[in-house]
Amino acid sequence: MFRRSFVSALVGAGTLAAIRTPALAADHKPVVGLVMKSLANEFFKDMQEGAVQHAKERGDFTLIPVGIQSETDIDGQIAAVENLVTRHVDAIVIAPADSRALLPPIARAIKSGIKVINIDVAFDPASMKKRGVDIAFVGPDNRDGARLSADVLAAKLGRGGKVVILEGNPGAENGVQRRLGFMDSINANGLKLLDSRTAHWETEEANSVFANMLTAHPDIQGVMAANDSMALGVVKAIDASGRSGKIQVVSFDNIPAIRPLLENGKVLATVDQFGAQLAAMGVDNALKEVQGQTLTGWIKTPVKLIKGRDAG
Amino acid sequence: MPDALTAAPPAIRWRRSRLLLRDAGIGIALLAMVLFFALAAPDFLSGANVGNILTQITINLILATGMTFAILVGGIDLSVGAVMALCAVVAGTVMKGDGLSEPLAVFLGIAASLAVGAVAGALNGFVSSFWSIPSFIVTLGMLNVARGSALEVTGARTIYDFPDSFIAFGTATLFGLPLMFLLALLLLLVGWVVLTRTVFGRMIYAIGNNDEAVRLSGHRPFTTKVAAFTVTGLCVGIAAIVYVTRLSIANPILGVGFELNAIAAVIIGGTSLSGGRGSLVGTLLGAVIIGVLSNGLILMGVTDFIRQIITGLVIIGAVILDSYRARLSRAA
Repeated sequence: MFRRSFVSALVGAGTLAAIRTPALAADHKPVVGLVMKSLANEFFKDMQEGAVQHAKERGDFTLIPVGIQSETDIDGQIAAVENLVTRHVDAIVIAPADSRALLPPIARAIKSGIKVINIDVAFDPASMKKRGVDIAFVGPDNRDGARLSADVLAAKLGRGGKVVILEGNPGAENGVQRRLGFMDSINANGLKLLDSRTAHWETEEANSVFANMLTAHPDIQGVMAANDSMALGVVKAIDASGRSGKIQVVSFDNIPAIRPLLENGKVLATVDQFGAQLAAMGVDNALKEVQGQTLTGWIKTPVKLIKGRDAG
Repeated sequence: MPDALTAAPPAIRWRRSRLLLRDAGIGIALLAMVLFFALAAPDFLSGANVGNILTQITINLILATGMTFAILVGGIDLSVGAVMALCAVVAGTVMKGDGLSEPLAVFLGIAASLAVGAVAGALNGFVSSFWSIPSFIVTLGMLNVARGSALEVTGARTIYDFPDSFIAFGTATLFGLPLMFLLALLLLLVGWVVLTRTVFGRMIYAIGNNDEAVRLSGHRPFTTKVAAFTVTGLCVGIAAIVYVTRLSIANPILGVGFELNAIAAVIIGGTSLSGGRGSLVGTLLGAVIIGVLSNGLILMGVTDFIRQIITGLVIIGAVILDSYRARLSRAA
């Protein structure tokens, strides 16, 4: 503890006065650090822009957004957290690149008095317990969202409808949850799962993988894609096979590129988890903690089913 | 000079028949694979599935054709996937420009893609040969420059909704074969003629075999190297257009890891990673093997993880085979 503050004092020696002075002033605005994942991803880019916009509108706090190089740049994120601790921010809102590896620096931040809110992917509960912290998670229920989307397909096909799943990256928590949600719907509605494969969230891979699945299972009636990018590739494969309208597609995310396909009926439904507002909702909750509230557990954010032209 | 090269002495003719035999070896491996899948998966040889395979290998085949030039000259290009994304988003941005008539927009988009690819390739070649830096590291740098530029150009967003006349190419067929595959084949044929029937092609092999000897004989490897990398880049520009027509989108994160598939196709095809030895016929077979493997294993119902393991083993197996071939040709 002492060592840590000593190091931060050393690091910040030159600018310490500059940082401390406004903190002591009466009109001090709380400073919130927002630690994002890779901004190369449209989803996180929108999320960060949403938070920046929110900071402008509220005007009663200062936002420091930081992104990392790639989705898996864990070291980069740890450095970003340590940097925010050094800068004595009041709160940190974090979309962790890894649900375990980010806990040690985050636990240190909490022990130095910084309020922390977890968004996007939840920290591992067992690891939190081990570190003696209980961080509130603000985020959507991916599993329930995926189930909503899949239910539209189930209603269209009826019991016994034959479907396949295109999964996200193996091991990615949101991908795992969405697959579970699809399975919930398949089991509840008596659908028949013919095959389930990953296309790593990627359009081109989804196009190839689905075309090959279709050869192996010509009787496919419906597709559940874990994100819209993969659904785009699936729709192209269905078009190329000349079976437009005979195979139904549902997906997840509601990116702009999927909207024309919802309108022309090539995609039945998708799910919006309001990614652009997710970080802003995290910030709001972080400010509640700064004002003295203690938040724990899962604060669910809305997911909304977006139906296309041909959804029942 | 060209005459002296085409009228080859018996030793070289013997070497050529060895080369032929080697390509046949890869062909036999492919044939065995096709036979296996035909028996294991009943729909494997259906017209629709063959069409699927050809569509699915087209982008990799075009990238691998370009990659063969870079590898033959003794280099490598790790930037092709990222440069392809940059080409695609630049083409997409140009095509969506205001006030352009559809044919003009399509023409300018294609031209922009080819230009971006060629410039990136030329830069790779220039920097690595002017300062004698391994192209491995130069193109690794270019990978980041191109990926970053693609993200910057688009603000990380997906470009969609392209002119129908442009997208139509993605599903067009000729004599029942995907038009995009025929384009890739034509490109490969042109590349093959360039490599085997022109002075430029002979220089590429010579430099890949012994850069220093070429220099001492009074030739300048520099120009040839830059030109070889430019060919690689030009192929990337073409592959980007094929990507956009096939999937109707252009986004800055496409093509991640495509360089590795292209390199794998070239190496499985028997081209030596150290340069100077190999052929585009091998690259074609290598790309087909990768495509057939991926398609056939899915048709058989092999799970994702096992499929990945098998693909890896095939690449390693191909390189082991290649080491035997290298010994054979030395013995000859």
